[in-house]
Amino acid sequence: MIVDVNAYLGHFAFRRLRHNTAAALLALMDSKKIDKAVVSSAGSITYRNAQAGNEEVAAEVRGHRDRLIPFAVINPFYAGWQDDLKICHEEFGMAGLRLYPNWHNYQFSSSCCRELVNAATERGMVISIPIRVEDNRQRSWLLNVPDLPLEEIVELVKAYPKARFILLNGIGYTGCPLGRKDNGLPSNYAIELSRLSAVLANELGQLITNLGTERVMFGTGMPFNYPDPALVKLEVLDASEADKEKIRSQNAMAWLQL
Amino acid sequence: MTTAHTNQSVPEHRPQISRRALLKDSAAAVVASALLSARAAAGEQPIPGASSDSLRKGRVIDCHAHLTHRSRSTWETDDRKLIEAADKLGIGQLCCSMLTPHRPATADGFRECNQWTADGMRRFPGRVLGYCYVNPGYGREALEEIRRCIGDRGFIGIKLYNEYTCTEPLVFPIVELAIKLDVPILHHASHSHYFVEDQPRMSDGGHLAELARRYPEAMLICAHISGGGDWEWTIKALRHAPNVLLDTSGSVTDEGTVEMAAAVVGVDRLVFGCDSSMTAGVGKIRGANLSTQDKEKILGENMMKLLRRRKP
Repeated sequence: MIVDVNAYLGHFAFRRLRHNTAAALLALMDSKKIDKAVVSSAGSITYRNAQAGNEEVAAEVRGHRDRLIPFAVINPFYAGWQDDLKICHEEFGMAGLRLYPNWHNYQFSSSCCRELVNAATERGMVISIPIRVEDNRQRSWLLNVPDLPLEEIVELVKAYPKARFILLNGIGYTGCPLGRKDNGLPSNYAIELSRLSAVLANELGQLITNLGTERVMFGTGMPFNYPDPALVKLEVLDASEADKEKIRSQNAMAWLQL
Repeated sequence: MTTAHTNQSVPEHRPQISRRALLKDSAAAVVASALLSARAAAGEQPIPGASSDSLRKGRVIDCHAHLTHRSRSTWETDDRKLIEAADKLGIGQLCCSMLTPHRPATADGFRECNQWTADGMRRFPGRVLGYCYVNPGYGREALEEIRRCIGDRGFIGIKLYNEYTCTEPLVFPIVELAIKLDVPILHHASHSHYFVEDQPRMSDGGHLAELARRYPEAMLICAHISGGGDWEWTIKALRHAPNVLLDTSGSVTDEGTVEMAAAVVGVDRLVFGCDSSMTAGVGKIRGANLSTQDKEKILGENMMKLLRRRKP
């Protein structure tokens, strides 16, 4: 069983995505033997009204809920986000969130974000945070959205010990407290592996040693990314089959109550 | 460092990513894999000018790799890890250069790097092939170093970085010597839609296309389309530059990159590389929706063809 905690549906403003409908993504997943995927709207990253993208995702996953697990993109600086959160959770059955503070122009420390994290936590929703959407070197001439500094994530996980975070598309965790052993941080966050090295520096192996296998989850970033690099990482990882199974699916299934 | 590194052949371990897995998703993968094994078993032609005779058809060749500079205390372990990673991923040969930690490189700096690359070729015979790295600004000294590395040390090509934009006249004698020696130039390149302050003389695909028009007989490789900014721009800029190959290396794993490159410039102009992003490099080719034959070309045949152009 493979569960991908880092997948998307819809269009991205700056590059054509393929395999971005439910049918096409499922076909790609079949070809890679990926059983389930957590999906959110790629369009909501740049839509002013992110809820429109959530509605698109809700419509796309209808009939595929056994395999596609929708997450909501909520911008807590936008009018009506509380209503959007309620609709996404209660009507669309979205089990978690994806937050884009740099793209939506707010900070984790802002009061509206605090309110959103608390509201989502109260609802038992998992909060996933893409450290980046795409490599900043290829950014459009229209904007410059830097990666989220990991130091901000450190403060975030400290501030909300009851919340549960999945960190996506990140790297360099071992260079900060997030990836260090006995870091004094709550174990309320898991790290997705799509950008981690599994050979040479082998950050993936280091994170397993430092944090435990339970804190690492499989993800690809498809259809932004080819799914294969993430699959290759798991294949070459020096870990027991039992540990690989936790990373492949069990950790995500436990968090998402699948 | 405990393992012996001097003049010892590195045994090839069974890769965790088999050749079949690397080519998977292609209908004919199994057949091709069997064919390749048969070819390999039958013995293959050596590549003129390669540092060993072990460059064979069917081998996966990483056209863009680096050995670690010895100012880094872990260099020996790092080099060993590179070979171990290649073993795991089914990569047969790594075309390596070594860059100075600070650039622009001095003549002493690039000579030292090349000396250590030559040593890497001895430590990992048949696995490490060498690019001679020079700073074109050193004129005669750069040319002498290239002649020494290619002629005497068995290097397979030249590596140019960002000391000069490749269209600057200072670079031309290097290109002319590469043509004379029948060796490729792997050129660092990137195209971002902003000025990259720390690399003011960065070349991009457009510069390489211009250089290629000036020297249609040169064999140029545009480095890391997946680590060089806007890859769609780069691919399009190189459409009409038939003597520029595109190296697929880099940490970016954007879906569709390899397919677009194949569609726009043709699969014969793509060469597999990692540039230290090993699983990204391998995963991109494995994931690309191309035929087994096309993947074979990218993974090794195109690079081998390039290297075979050098006269014995």
